[in-house]
Amino acid sequence: MELYEYNLHELVEKLKSKEISPSEIFESCKKRIDDCEENIHAFITRTEDFAKAQLSKELTGIFAGVPTVLKDNLCTKGIRTTAASKILGNWRPPYDATAWKDLRSAGAILMGKVNMDEFAMGNTCGNSAFGPTHNPNDISRVPGGSSGGSAAAVSAGYVSFSLGSDTGGSIRQPASYCGVYGLKPTYGMVSRYGLISYGSSLDQIGPFARTVRDLQLVMSVISNYDPMDSSCFREKAHDFTHNENPSIKGKKIALVKEFQGFTLDAPIADAMNKIKKILEDEGAIITEVSLPVVSRYAVACYYALAMSEAHTNLERYDGVRLGYTVKDAAGIKEMFERVRSYGFGPEVKSRIIAGTCLTEPTRCEEYYVAATKVRTLIAQEFSRAFGETDFILQPVTPSMPPKIGEADEDAMKGYEADLYTLPVNLAGLPGLSFFTGYADKLPVGLQLIGPRWSDPELLHAGVIIERHTGSPKIANGGVK
Amino acid sequence: MAELTFTPVIGIEIHIRLKSDSKLFCSCSTDTDAAPNTNICPVCMGLPGTLPRLNHKVVEQGILAGLALNCGIRPKSLFFRKSYFYPDLPKGHQVSQCDLPITTSGYIEVHDAEGNLKKIRVHHLHLEEDVGSLHHSASDGRLEGADTSYVDYNRCGTPLAEIVSEPDVASAAEAVEYVMNLRRRVIYSGASDVELEKGMMRFDANVSMKCSDGRWGHKVEVKNMNSFKALERAIEFEIKRQKKLMLNGEDVIQETRHWNDAKGITSSSRVKENYRKFIVEPDLPPLHVTQEWIDRMKAKMPEMPDVKARRYVSEMKIPPEVADVLTDDKNLAAYFEACVAAGANPVRASHWVRTEVLRVMNEKQWKIADFNIKPEVLASLVARVDEGKISTTQGKEVFDYMTANNSGVDEAIKKLGITEGGVAGNALNDVIQTVLKNNPDVLEEIKSGKDTKGKKLKFLQGLVMKETKGQAKPQEVAEAIEKAVRN
Repeated sequence: MELYEYNLHELVEKLKSKEISPSEIFESCKKRIDDCEENIHAFITRTEDFAKAQLSKELTGIFAGVPTVLKDNLCTKGIRTTAASKILGNWRPPYDATAWKDLRSAGAILMGKVNMDEFAMGNTCGNSAFGPTHNPNDISRVPGGSSGGSAAAVSAGYVSFSLGSDTGGSIRQPASYCGVYGLKPTYGMVSRYGLISYGSSLDQIGPFARTVRDLQLVMSVISNYDPMDSSCFREKAHDFTHNENPSIKGKKIALVKEFQGFTLDAPIADAMNKIKKILEDEGAIITEVSLPVVSRYAVACYYALAMSEAHTNLERYDGVRLGYTVKDAAGIKEMFERVRSYGFGPEVKSRIIAGTCLTEPTRCEEYYVAATKVRTLIAQEFSRAFGETDFILQPVTPSMPPKIGEADEDAMKGYEADLYTLPVNLAGLPGLSFFTGYADKLPVGLQLIGPRWSDPELLHAGVIIERHTGSPKIANGGVK
Repeated sequence: MAELTFTPVIGIEIHIRLKSDSKLFCSCSTDTDAAPNTNICPVCMGLPGTLPRLNHKVVEQGILAGLALNCGIRPKSLFFRKSYFYPDLPKGHQVSQCDLPITTSGYIEVHDAEGNLKKIRVHHLHLEEDVGSLHHSASDGRLEGADTSYVDYNRCGTPLAEIVSEPDVASAAEAVEYVMNLRRRVIYSGASDVELEKGMMRFDANVSMKCSDGRWGHKVEVKNMNSFKALERAIEFEIKRQKKLMLNGEDVIQETRHWNDAKGITSSSRVKENYRKFIVEPDLPPLHVTQEWIDRMKAKMPEMPDVKARRYVSEMKIPPEVADVLTDDKNLAAYFEACVAAGANPVRASHWVRTEVLRVMNEKQWKIADFNIKPEVLASLVARVDEGKISTTQGKEVFDYMTANNSGVDEAIKKLGITEGGVAGNALNDVIQTVLKNNPDVLEEIKSGKDTKGKKLKFLQGLVMKETKGQAKPQEVAEAIEKAVRN
């Protein structure tokens, strides 16, 4: 067994007991990356020099010496941060994102900044100015997105955990495609300070790992109140302590009535049946909730809000202060136009244009304002549903990971596929994407959703399921 | 045909810099005079990934300013993103409460053309962040056509209150009284120092004309006025311009015009007004202001200057124009009230403050805080003059001596050789006898009845007054001299 294969909690133990040294695990991970990266292309920027500098100092904290990677929309002081866009150029943030600051203080070692869809807009990791990332389970397939690099890095064994962000499924869907666990925490559970915004009211940072217990460990480090983020929780700290023997006996787990007629790829439908059986065996009660507003309006509502917020979040990229710029523009207007025309990729441009139209004064009431009202209804509907059930079980996506290139053919199909993930962000709920097994060597994931702030309970349920399904294996990463 | 008459319909938008050590959404200093781009941080520079966090001290200043304008405070208000591209706006949008502001409506009182009190309704006050400042190399200082432009982001994120009036203003004079009164009230509330020379108050005016024949001219937004005088001149110019157009049967075009202070004209803005749209600022939760918070702010509110001035007139019988002067500055009014509290006659004290105190402050470029005669000391001086212990002229000498030498009343009186209570009775007679002795020829003339017009008598009185250093009462002197001459 190679050192890089250890899961996070094992690695933490072995580093603590000094059975493994930080430089040994660093070298092992580095070799694994060297072996696979040509096939997978998960990195935008490798930061091994930074990692070595970290290793040269005394490391303290629960993650002392544990290698990790960050999605490249998380700001890292002095290290290039691109959001997979040309427009940020070689920008080096003068500050650390709070989540990374927390990990760094806990002793985590940064191996690099990983690929994503530009500004987190996409679900294939193909909308990157740095080229696509490949799924480590089958390099002809997409790893999912937008946090494709974060999922692929954990799946391929580059690192035992990583951070990504989820605005409409960007953690849960790539976790499912790559065969790892991914948690989209409750909105406000993890500080967003230093996360390059896409849709501010929907964005949330969360972890990827190969066991649920590892997610618990990461959450215990990054779920802190942060005065720098006004949307961050102010209540008491949340307890993510691992429980060896959690129980879901008597808990209600609901399926969404309106989703039952939808077509699912066979392995996903099979997985639903398998997990229902497991949960029933554990004493849970499988039930049904009705989410009529969600099923009819969530996708339209989501895109109206996400694009409206996105276009204002992206107004700051004008070439004046940072990133890509032009020096020979005839005037300020031409400068703005040239910087933004060249700097943004096509998907980002289309969402900026959509967001601009949706909030244009003559349409704003009809689209943007209407969407904010629908969002309230959606949140109310979920809150009613969680009066009737403890969790909701549903797919992450209706289909298995597509081949690279195929996914881009029908943009609308991608939008509809988001119905399983988007509503969670609209209501600010936590969603766990968990591994259920393999079908034709491809991993199959499902999703468990809970009420706001139920993240610890959600992970306890994940631990129970994992006990039955086993944890995912490290993907072969295209290595012959 | 009857002659056409025109009624100006004017609304005014005011931006006031609120008093705060730190910016609206970060902890950077609000010192905009610092070297360019030294009071900046990732948040006010709008760097990717940064988030605003609301400065609650500024919210308090906003509440105080709102209360000063007789506005209600909204229990829940929101921040919005107001989008437009400009190099001095780092995020590409300004965060502003434009759509659901912290206050409801209020009003400010002014005098109309007939001198009657009239309310100018305030639509609302809202909080927003200021932008950076641009410095252009072009000769006209504008962005278009400049070879190079520099941006200083120090001002970026400093807190502003925008105050929007209803179109209740009917003249340039009303406009000026509105902004002056509003400014005084805001200063009194402590929400801002509103130092005009530091650009802490900026005005825009929406001017349109209603014609007696039923025509309404389009609204013209006039920008770029930074002083009361500029506001007055710009509105006067615009009224004249629009009236002329309408008299000629022409349309007033709805547009934004810039006031050119040097030329004294408004001109059509070359740049089209930026197209703006608002979404809720998703990075800031709604601002909740509890009744308890509002009550706490209300308790902090001092008596407002116009209310105070009216009280001076009604309770203390002080002339309105003096009351206006005294209440112009909160600290001056406090000084005056301290004098009265120390026992000074209010009317006398008001004149002393208005003439002597303000004269010295003006000469020495002092603020009232610098003024070195304590109010109770001035009260004692006023009382002595009032009681006739020293004359008004002597009082002024004492006053000057005290401020020049940081002395008390008694010390000044002694140093100036003034006899309290004046020179009278035997002391006066002694002086008169000396004068008569020194001027035997004059005495002879009077005695011989040649002084038919009393000129010689007046001459002697003058000499006596001079000898007594003005400390004798003229009436007593006249009587005593006449008596002495007849003896």
